[in-house]
This record gives sequence, structure tokens and C-alpha cells, in this order.
Amino acid sequence: MAARNEAGVASRSLRIPWGMLAAAAVAVGLWGVASRLIPQSNLYLPSPAAVGAALLELLAKGILPDYVAESLRRVILATAIGLVIGVPLGILIGINSKVAECCYPLLNFFQSLGGIAILPLVIVWFGFTEKTILVAINYTVLFPVVFNVMVGVRSVPRIYVDGLRTLGASRLRIVRDVLLPGALPHVATGARLGMAYGWRALIAAEMLVGANGLGFMIFNAASFFQTNRIVLGMLAIGTLWVLIDRFVLRPIEADTIQRWGLVQR
Amino acid sequence: MTREIVAAMVDAEAARKCRAQALKRRRWLAAFLRGAAPFAFLLVLWYVLTARGALPAIFLPTPAEVARVLMDMVGDGSLPAHVAASLGRVLVGLAVSVPLGIGLGVVMGLSRGVARAVEPVASFLNSLSGIAWLPLAITWFGMGWVSVTFILFNTIFFLVLFNTLVGVRGVPRIFEHGLLTLGGRRRHIIFQVLIPGALPSIVTGIRMSMGFGWRAILAAEMIGSTNGLGFLIYNGANFHQTDTIIAGILLIGAIWLVTDRLVLVPIERRTVERWGLVSRPS
Repeated sequence: MAARNEAGVASRSLRIPWGMLAAAAVAVGLWGVASRLIPQSNLYLPSPAAVGAALLELLAKGILPDYVAESLRRVILATAIGLVIGVPLGILIGINSKVAECCYPLLNFFQSLGGIAILPLVIVWFGFTEKTILVAINYTVLFPVVFNVMVGVRSVPRIYVDGLRTLGASRLRIVRDVLLPGALPHVATGARLGMAYGWRALIAAEMLVGANGLGFMIFNAASFFQTNRIVLGMLAIGTLWVLIDRFVLRPIEADTIQRWGLVQR
Repeated sequence: MTREIVAAMVDAEAARKCRAQALKRRRWLAAFLRGAAPFAFLLVLWYVLTARGALPAIFLPTPAEVARVLMDMVGDGSLPAHVAASLGRVLVGLAVSVPLGIGLGVVMGLSRGVARAVEPVASFLNSLSGIAWLPLAITWFGMGWVSVTFILFNTIFFLVLFNTLVGVRGVPRIFEHGLLTLGGRRRHIIFQVLIPGALPSIVTGIRMSMGFGWRAILAAEMIGSTNGLGFLIYNGANFHQTDTIIAGILLIGAIWLVTDRLVLVPIERRTVERWGLVSRPS
């Protein structure tokens, strides 16, 4: 676990988290014991050994890396598109206060209708294809980004905008030098929220529509009663999110907040 | 003479109050109209796009068709049944998970040892989205409401657990010490200091878990159930009944808006205001 300095922000040095490893080892041990006690453990609670065997088998066949890559590709693509489209859109909406006020409830409404609620509609439009998954996930990531960027732009104190304007700055200059940096923490928050919703929606979409990916893998395994594969998939899903959140998203958020000196937490 | 002056003052005061109330009502109405305007605009756009068969009905049905489907489903009772199923599962999930989450959170906050043992595992399970539990739940419980509600248990339990933990850890020790000097016991500390102190965090956690949980339950109903709003719209997709799908989607959005704005936000505001603590705006 990265050491934490006074501000509670993870610093760059890495120390081996003995406590965490010990707790994990105990948990795995308890799991093994429980699995041995339960009848029909292959179906209900496969032992750690069985899950390990599934891991080796799927790695050897190349299925697991392929599925992991597919899921990651979809969510990263959606996040990238969401940011590229969402940040300018959010800024555009946020600049004008009347437009922002008007769009606020609309964005809130569509944000709450996550990708999963939209999925049946997209299935009717595009069928059970890859396009459906991408559209649904992109939609899921886009709205939190736009919403948060808009809120961020609105929360920049007017005095900075006015100050730059008295110095004769053009509108573009104001966007580039005041609004964009000022909204950056909110951009980070929006990206993090969008990715969290998007990752969850992706797993669900892959279960319903996909022919590959981690969600498909665990759902398919349930049909064949291969519970060890289900548990393996769940561990993979959880681990991937922990890695993404801790080593990509949180450092970005910490860097922007720290860098611009805007301490919120 | 004095009596007339006093009467005039009372009249003026009453008139002022009346005007203030009318102004407040007008302001509220204006704000409501401003908020509803974009939706009205979208409705008009929808009407125009689908008028005279400009788009195939399977792609986007007219508002009239969607309204008709809604009326039909309300009429034959299927819509209330689906809504009741989904909301019922949410309530059951909340009723079971919230007390458990708060309980474990308080225990972990009190005991450093328990926290160190449980936190890594709980933290990992927290990152596991609710829907990822579904295949395992179906293997354990079969298809049906138990699996679906189990998803909700997970989502709500872990979020409330961690928010309670953060809240309990954030309560200033001086309150605890103050209670102890007055002769309070552990149960007094828990119920009169820790839980009230953690309440804003807990309520934020409940609100966040509702956000994730509502989505998770829709997805779970699509895959593993034969009733509920998620099932309704997914079933519609299988039969290309776009009007049912859109009716369901609008209803889902409306239910979430109502729940969030009229139930969750006031609760959050009232607990925060009451305990005089400032929480982060979401």
C-alpha cells in the first residue's frame, strides 16, 4: 500500500502491505475450510485450489487474457470518448448560466437513467452486437462527465473570470486559463464516477448481449455450472477495478486537486 | 386615535405577509417552469420527429403510442405489479443491509483489530460491482427474487459499511471522553455519540448505494427474474415492443427522480442540518 503523507494523499513510495497480505491469506484459508465443509462444493463454493486450476486452464487456453482485454478495451474506449466529447460539451453548457440552469435537470435525469436502462432500446436499434455494448457504455460514461464538468465550470469564482477580462482576455483565453483548470477537479470526479458506472454497466451489458468479455464469461459459466470459473471471473472483475481505481483514477484526482491547490477533502 | 394607528399597522403587516407568500409561490412556480422547460422541449421534439411516420415505429414510437401502452398496463394491473416488485426488493434490501452495515461499521470503528482483519476483504468485495454477484447468486438460489435481492444486499451493505466506518472514525474523541467522564457506558457511546456523529456519512452512503443499487437491480431483473421493471423493458426488447421499452424507461427515470429528490435529499439535508455538520454536496 502506498504510504500516506499528512494530506492523506498517496505518495509514490511502495511498501509491502504485510498486514493486508496476512489478512488476505487468512481469508483464503477460511474460504478453503468452508469449501471443504459444504456438500457439493464444486457447485456452491469451489475451493481456492479449484479456482486456481480454472485460472491456469483459462490462461493456457488464452481465454482469460482475451476476455480481460476485451472488457478493458471497451471501458477505456468509452472513457476516452466520454472525456473528449464530454469536457468541451460540459464547458459549453456551463459558460452560459441560463443554459446551465436549463440543462441541469435534463442532465440529471439522463444521468440517472444509466446504460442498463437504455440497453433494451439500444438492442432494438442495433441488435445483439458489439455496437450495442459500445453505445450503451459510452452513454453511461458521457453523462456524469458532462454533468460534473458543467458543475465545475459554474463553481469557478467569477472574480477570476472578471479579473482576466479586465486584462483584455478573449473568451477562448478565459476558457483555457480559468475555466478549464478551475473545473479540472470536477473533470477528474466526473471521469471517476463515469468509469465506475461504466464498468458496472459493462459487466451487465456483456452478460446480456456479449459474446466475449468478463461479464459474458461469468454468466456463461453459470449456465454450465462451472462455479470455479464464476468465482475466478468475479475475482478478476474486482481486482481490475481495484487496480484501475487505486493506481489510475485516484492518483489523477489527487494530482489535479493538489496541483491546483483546491483542497476539498 | 391609537387604536386606528395600531389597526393600520396590523393591516399593513398582514398585507406584507400576503405579498411575501404570493412572491414565494410565484418564484417557486417560475423555478419549476424553468426546470420543466427542457423536458417540454424534448417532448415537442419527440412529437415532431415521430409525426406522420417520419421514423419507423420500431425505432421510435410516437408519444401517443407510449401513453397508450402505459394506460393499458396500468389498466390490466401489470405495471403496478412490476413497480411493486422492483420497489419491494429495494425496500427489503434496505431493511436488511442498512442495519447490518451500520452495525458492522460501528464494530469496526470501535475495534482496531476487527477493522484490520475485515477491512481488506470488505474493501475488495466493495469494488466488486453488485451485478458481478449475479451468476453466483443464481447458482446458489436459482432464478427469482432471492438472487435479485441478494445483489441489492451486497451493493447496499458494503457502501453503508464503509461510509459508517468513515463517519465513526471522524467523530471527535472529545465527545466520547465527555460522555465517559459523566459516567456513560459503552452502549451510551455507541448510541449517543458514534451513530449520531456518523449519521451524515451514513445517509450519504445510503444515498450512494441507492444510486448503484437501483441500476444493479434493473440489470439483475433483466437477467434473472420474470417480473419487475428491468424484466419489463428487457422483455420488450426481445419482442421489439419499443413503446413498452420507452414507457418503462420513462417510468424508471421518473421513479428515481421522485425517490432521490423527494425522499433521499430531504433526509440527507435534515440529518446534516440537525446535527450541524457540513457534508460534501454530491
